[in-house]
Amino acid sequence: MATHALNPATSTYSRGVLYDWLTTTDHKKIGIMYVINSFLFFLIGGILALVVRTELAAPGLQFLSDEHVYNEMFTMHATMMIFLFVIPMLAGLGNYIVPLQIGAPDMAFPRINALSLWMLPLGGILLISSFFTGGTAAAGWTSYPPLSLDGPLKSPGSGQDLWIVALILIGTSSILGGINFLVTIFKMRAPGMTLFRMPIMVWTVLVTSVLVVMATPVITSALVMLFIDRNYGGHFFDPFGGGSAVLYQNIFWFYSHPAVYVMILPAMGVISEVLPVFSRKPLFGYKAFIFATAGIGALGFSVWAHHMFTTGAVFLPFFSLLTFLIAVPTGVKMFNWVFTLFRGQLTFSTPLIFAIGFLTMFLIGGINGAFSASVPVDFALHDTYWVVAHIHYVLFGGSVFGVFAGLYYWFPKMTGRMLDESLGKIHFVLMFVGFNLTFFPMHMLGLEGMPRRIADYAADAGWNNWNMAATIGGFVIATSILPFLWNVFASLRNGKIAGDDPWEGNTLEWATSSPPPPYNFDHLPEIRSERPVFDARHGVEGH
Amino acid sequence: MSTSPRKRPAPDVFVAGLVLLILVALVVAIFLTGFGNTLYPPDAVTAQGREVRGLYNIVFAIAVAIFLLVEGLIVWSVLRYRRRPSDTELPVQTHGNNMVEVIWTVIPTVIVLYMFVISWQTLNHVDAVSAQPDIRIHAIAGQFQWQFEYLDQDGKKVATQLAPAYDVDTGLGGMAVPVGRSVQVTLDSPDVIHAFYVPQFLFKRDVVPGMTNKFEFNVDVTEAGQVFRGQCAELCGTGHRKMLFNVIALSQGDYDTWLRALIEKSNATPAPLPSGTVLNVTAEGIKFDSASLEVPADAPFAIAFTNKDPAGVTHDIDIQDSSGTVLQKQETIDGGTSANYTYTPLPAGTYTFFCSIHANMTGTLTVK
Repeated sequence: MATHALNPATSTYSRGVLYDWLTTTDHKKIGIMYVINSFLFFLIGGILALVVRTELAAPGLQFLSDEHVYNEMFTMHATMMIFLFVIPMLAGLGNYIVPLQIGAPDMAFPRINALSLWMLPLGGILLISSFFTGGTAAAGWTSYPPLSLDGPLKSPGSGQDLWIVALILIGTSSILGGINFLVTIFKMRAPGMTLFRMPIMVWTVLVTSVLVVMATPVITSALVMLFIDRNYGGHFFDPFGGGSAVLYQNIFWFYSHPAVYVMILPAMGVISEVLPVFSRKPLFGYKAFIFATAGIGALGFSVWAHHMFTTGAVFLPFFSLLTFLIAVPTGVKMFNWVFTLFRGQLTFSTPLIFAIGFLTMFLIGGINGAFSASVPVDFALHDTYWVVAHIHYVLFGGSVFGVFAGLYYWFPKMTGRMLDESLGKIHFVLMFVGFNLTFFPMHMLGLEGMPRRIADYAADAGWNNWNMAATIGGFVIATSILPFLWNVFASLRNGKIAGDDPWEGNTLEWATSSPPPPYNFDHLPEIRSERPVFDARHGVEGH
Repeated sequence: MSTSPRKRPAPDVFVAGLVLLILVALVVAIFLTGFGNTLYPPDAVTAQGREVRGLYNIVFAIAVAIFLLVEGLIVWSVLRYRRRPSDTELPVQTHGNNMVEVIWTVIPTVIVLYMFVISWQTLNHVDAVSAQPDIRIHAIAGQFQWQFEYLDQDGKKVATQLAPAYDVDTGLGGMAVPVGRSVQVTLDSPDVIHAFYVPQFLFKRDVVPGMTNKFEFNVDVTEAGQVFRGQCAELCGTGHRKMLFNVIALSQGDYDTWLRALIEKSNATPAPLPSGTVLNVTAEGIKFDSASLEVPADAPFAIAFTNKDPAGVTHDIDIQDSSGTVLQKQETIDGGTSANYTYTPLPAGTYTFFCSIHANMTGTLTVK
């Protein structure tokens, strides 16, 4: 463990920059590479989404040659966005921020940290390679058997196998990362940093890591069984060979529902950092927020079958009740956030704007989740565009807006330069408008009966206008990324110098230079609350 | 900021209040103009669907109330508590309040428990199946076509409907059901998972291979003569979007006539093979056994077609010209059965024969 602060600057070796980054075990460089790698897959996954939206803009198969290609597009879109963008992006932010926020010099296992990073592009390359080896997986990101098994009209070819291997690699990376976070958070906190003085971001990463370490091995088992079924004559999930198709769904969702919380909890952590700083108030109900986070984590393991209400193989009332109950800790968080803003002094810098975007959109994503918890209503809405709207309000309106709040917030710390505020606001407005234009109409499409995952629809089904609106919105979202990319490019060269603490932050990452030196801190302020840097700035009476 | 000596300028409160008012007015306008109807499912046509719709209305009303409350608080805070140049002192550092934490834990708990209970009650009605339903239908969903077997009270098959979609021109096809009677549908799949979904029933149920699901519905009497759109709702492969069907609601008399006709058709002896050119084609493993056929020009011909795939996997042999225009269509037949297809004369040229259910099953038909 890197508890001894060795200063690499004294090293006699002088290596090239590229060599340095490729071999680094510094959690900050690894964190930045996580972020860059994830962002690349966000761009690829986004292009795939545009392909899907372009095909659906009007009835008729006009853009793609056939339905199989369409199935490949949405399968790869979801797979990349979930496993190669949202999860690793948040892990990357955590990687950069968690050691800084708890006053540690690095992660507990720096080399394992590098290993978990480099498994990600490897998994991504395997996944992408299937485009050039006869076609990608096309059975949806859920890859339900028997459709994902080998056979005519099912999933013959290597694409599905590459998908399985890529996911096992990415999952292993997650598990290693999760263990690393847990050890770091439990063993490497600075003196005075008790558990109940840890920033909420650290708490959410902690709960997320527990979910990852407990749930990811379970989906790995499902993937291995699927691989055996496909390649070695197994019958785990083959109903005509003594297996069970529903068994896969149980195992898959036992991971993939907690994975939803893996994708949203750290984003909640980000905005729980941003809201207090930009309202100049502490987070309302710090401990309640922590208990709510832990509650969501615990309940997250007992609701997986709400994805399977229509299978006819689920004890419905149990999973309905538990799913409804998850709304309670989520609601506690929402009220705590809003009351953090209440009676504050709000400065509308880009991080805060994205955080407020998160609040307003995640609110819709949370509320429309309650519709699906009501089993009879779910019978009507399941597997329609309503569900597509719901997941995007949670994972885009929630997680992605949270990710951008975090990127705008910590970019000055990572690079030493400020991002441009005007470009940031243009980015937000375009993304917010585009997002709602894309995904709100999907509620209506779902209610009107448009199923997910269809390449085409009848011209007289009444779905034309909403689909066209959603497609236009998709291109607005794509446009919104351009000012962001330009902002990053231009600010890296000419951005305003940030200084150590440009936002008047609360937490320890603002007590060191921007960017921080190797091993992070020359000295630490006293830690007597969850806001040590605030305490140092304002004294105890400010508290 | 009641504890602060500083005074907020009054117009600020005015603006915030005005924006909130506009927000509420907007919501009211949405529901008054009928635009709000797009936020509701279609009108239900079954007794079960109406219960789901009633439940949806309650859940939706609660959702809108919570949305307005929380979104209103957010908008209010954003507009009201902007930092001003005069704000040099910190605002009051409120760390929380146990009383309000308890309140906003308990009240939502009560609300979700209420929603759970009414959902459960509705579920017990929607999900109920009777031992002696009036009508029994066995729906088989295979890649990529539905077929509906009509069963008698003992569960014995009396007729099979192989054309799942209603044809407006001929009036044929579709799953007919009598209004006002309990219809029990059992679901089976010979291959992958599908889902039976009729939007106007506000209901769907997965068709899972290896297990038989069942559900029941009663179409409202007032719906006699209506045709409802149905579709597979679980991704089932490259023909997923084409797995369409219709449910036709008929009065009891019309239904009896319809079913009698279907039974007669099911029992009819297959058309004898005509004299002239007869080809033999077999389908097995989602493939035709021959990739090219040859027939003489300007003369009728026939194909003795055998479907050796398992029951539930349907095929046919249709003909299209090189531009993709379908010239001659045949009815699909179920796996394990055979049929004699007769075709009208074609001018010399090269055509494509294909299965209308499986895009990969094609071959060349040479006419000379």
